[in-house]
Amino acid sequence: MKAPAPGPAVFGSLAALVAAGPILAVAWIAVSAPWGDYLLHLLQTRLPGYVLNTLIVTSTAMILAGGIGTMAGWMIARLDFPGRNIFAWALALPLAVPAYVAAYGWLDLTQAAGPLQTPLREAGLTSLADLLPVVRGPVGAGFVFSVTLYPYVYLIARQAFSEQHPDMQNAARTLGASRWQTLTGITLPLVRPSLAAGLALVAMESIADFGAVAHLGAPTLTVGVVRAWAGAGSVPDAARLAVVLALFAYLAFALERQSRARARYGQTSGGRRQTRRIRLAGGQGIMAVLVCLLPILLGLVFPLGRLLYLALTEPAARGVMDGLNNSLGLASITAILAALLGLGAAYAIRSGTTFGVLSARLAGLGYAAPGAVAAVGALVLFAGLQTLLDSLWGGRFPILLSATAGALVFAYLSRFAAVAIAPAETALAQVTHRLDEAAKTLGAGRRRIAADIHWPLILGGIGIAALMVFVEVMKELPATMILRPFNTDTLAVIAHNYAADERLGQAALPSLIIVLATIPAMILAARSLTRGEER
Amino acid sequence: MSQPILSVRGAEKSLGGNPILNGVDLDLYCGQVCAVLGPSGAGKSTLLRMIAGLEALEAGSIVSGGQSWDDGKHLTPAEKRRVGVVFQDYALFPHLTVEKNIAFGLKGHFSKDAVNARVAELTKQTEISALSQSYPHELSGGEQQRVALARALAPRPDIILLDEPFSSLDRRLRADLREQTMKVIREAGAAALIVTHDADEAFETADTLFLMEEGRIIQSGSPAEVYCHPVSISSARLLGDINVAPGRIENHRIETLFGTIKAPDIKDGTAMNLLVRPEALRESETGAEFTVEDIRIRQGRQRIRITASDGTHWIAELPLANPIKKGGILRLALDESAMTLLPAL
Repeated sequence: MKAPAPGPAVFGSLAALVAAGPILAVAWIAVSAPWGDYLLHLLQTRLPGYVLNTLIVTSTAMILAGGIGTMAGWMIARLDFPGRNIFAWALALPLAVPAYVAAYGWLDLTQAAGPLQTPLREAGLTSLADLLPVVRGPVGAGFVFSVTLYPYVYLIARQAFSEQHPDMQNAARTLGASRWQTLTGITLPLVRPSLAAGLALVAMESIADFGAVAHLGAPTLTVGVVRAWAGAGSVPDAARLAVVLALFAYLAFALERQSRARARYGQTSGGRRQTRRIRLAGGQGIMAVLVCLLPILLGLVFPLGRLLYLALTEPAARGVMDGLNNSLGLASITAILAALLGLGAAYAIRSGTTFGVLSARLAGLGYAAPGAVAAVGALVLFAGLQTLLDSLWGGRFPILLSATAGALVFAYLSRFAAVAIAPAETALAQVTHRLDEAAKTLGAGRRRIAADIHWPLILGGIGIAALMVFVEVMKELPATMILRPFNTDTLAVIAHNYAADERLGQAALPSLIIVLATIPAMILAARSLTRGEER
Repeated sequence: MSQPILSVRGAEKSLGGNPILNGVDLDLYCGQVCAVLGPSGAGKSTLLRMIAGLEALEAGSIVSGGQSWDDGKHLTPAEKRRVGVVFQDYALFPHLTVEKNIAFGLKGHFSKDAVNARVAELTKQTEISALSQSYPHELSGGEQQRVALARALAPRPDIILLDEPFSSLDRRLRADLREQTMKVIREAGAAALIVTHDADEAFETADTLFLMEEGRIIQSGSPAEVYCHPVSISSARLLGDINVAPGRIENHRIETLFGTIKAPDIKDGTAMNLLVRPEALRESETGAEFTVEDIRIRQGRQRIRITASDGTHWIAELPLANPIKKGGILRLALDESAMTLLPAL
């Protein structure tokens, strides 16, 4: 029996409006505004390079992250070795490191004047020093994305590996397949849809990034959008580039959705039994520890270690405290609003009504829109609203709506509402209709069911949702670059501006503070995610 | 018998144009255990959900203690009916301890002491006292079932409904738990309705049996009555194997493999079916001759597939005492008190 409740549908459509609004605005302005020379000029000069860089960066990131994530996921799900329980969540931590922060650290470590090459050159081994790869250009950017984004693949792969029915492998073994044949013939093909979903997330994030590719000299389409806005000051041209960028992102998004749907079919029904993990001792155990340690070193320890050294030896940046305040304020407000929006949308999905489900799904689309696209969209929307208010007011309407914190939070919500919907939906999914029914037969009314059954069960999920959005906003750069109010810099913007001036010593401190502020939230989220599977 | 605590009359419900319930009548009495037995898809669970108030009737009525619960228009919501339900998957609240799960339906109605006393009483009765601080996911299937039972019984409902309550347990545990559950339910004195697809379960629990098929109650009565005197081949099949032999009435008699059977009240020329349970056949020197095809041991008896001289296939169930050889000849007679003659449709 479905109770008709107007609430969920309202929340669902609100979420959909916030998330889809900017993208629709971008598409509209791209088509309707008059065409200038800038884009034509761009097409003849930079655009092919942007597209090529986007492709190289994304494919490099996907290949490397896919390898690291799958390997780590399989090891944690199937093997038992010293420290496995800690690695289970620690392997997710590089997600707390923004790609641009890792890029600062890696480029500084590997460049010609960096700490790796300098001693070799001083010792006269110049040719040897020249052989060392420098993390730079599209391939270097792809490497940086792979070591910071592989946790997306790792988390999904680990879940897929541990949910696989153990009898599946047992059946293959009884039919005479070797361990290797079982792995390549049964285990991997079964998790392939899940892996594709994780890789699509890696692709989406790589496409959307601004800071890392700008710093490493591999300008992608996102850089193009920001330059069109900041350099040429043309919203329509930024919007047109944004449409091209959004197309790339939606390609990855569609792949992710489709893979997820397939992954669901891939699961076998029936009792969930825990696969017995293969215990590794001695040398094999140490090998496993080293293999698991490597991605954490690459994504977290090496780049942050270098930045920490720089922060300690170079003079401090100015405005860091203000930046911290701005970052924390924006991230907290957005996290709370997004959690509420996510909860509402999750209820809309649960209500099962066509309108509710459709609008909540539409809200999920916002995540695929890169930050630069969401920002341009918010700009267009708010400018339109301002014009409308001005004409109604009969003059200049007192509140200048664009380039305020409001527009920025709106753009954040548009981009990250989906991040909040997913955990809320998962949390609400464990509140089965059976539980509602059981409570009803025991005399509980609607309010008591909500307070005593739903709320305690979903509280954890809502908390996770808020934490994830908090982390994302702390790290966010391109949308903030475009929309930040005058004189309001976040830590990310401060770090980027110093890095752009080649003043890495000053960029190091704000970068480290971002990671320090997000890592507790990340640990909490990662541990709660892993706990569910360990049962 | 006294007044029923619950009466269902002409209950109808359909889903996407397909009838799920098709005019169901049913009465429940305090202190009595009823079982609804039927194949999956017969509408058993839907009937239970209607009585609990989790689904509404399209036509018909449900009345309890003189009050209308559902007349096809006005529905008393589930939370106002106070019917205890043990759900098939138990639906225990995952974030509450065993104790809090059981106390859920008592909160706000009784003092804290009274709630604690009732919970203690029930955990003792269902033998889960040691688990009261555990969470549902820490319990075995059997323990979860006991918690679900205790939770449903806690508010002292007049009616308790159990939806396939033992289906997810292994066979051995099922028998033990069934016995214990029925004891607790009988002590509670409520009217109980068990929905099941397992004939053995229905026999072991019920005072009254309702056989259900395609949204209808096709037969009801005491288990012995329903077992020995089925009203149709399909109701006979629901309760176990049955041999069916067609024939025709001539001179108020019918010729069978086992000789002539009198049928004084049936018109000559009527086509009939003779229904014989496997255990109504016994070895006899003068009985009909069968060839033994296959022998299986089931619950301490031999279940034998045999072929008669006319080529028809039969099933007999005999004590293990006499070893029978495959391919051998078996002579069987019919216990006439345990057979049924029904007009063929």
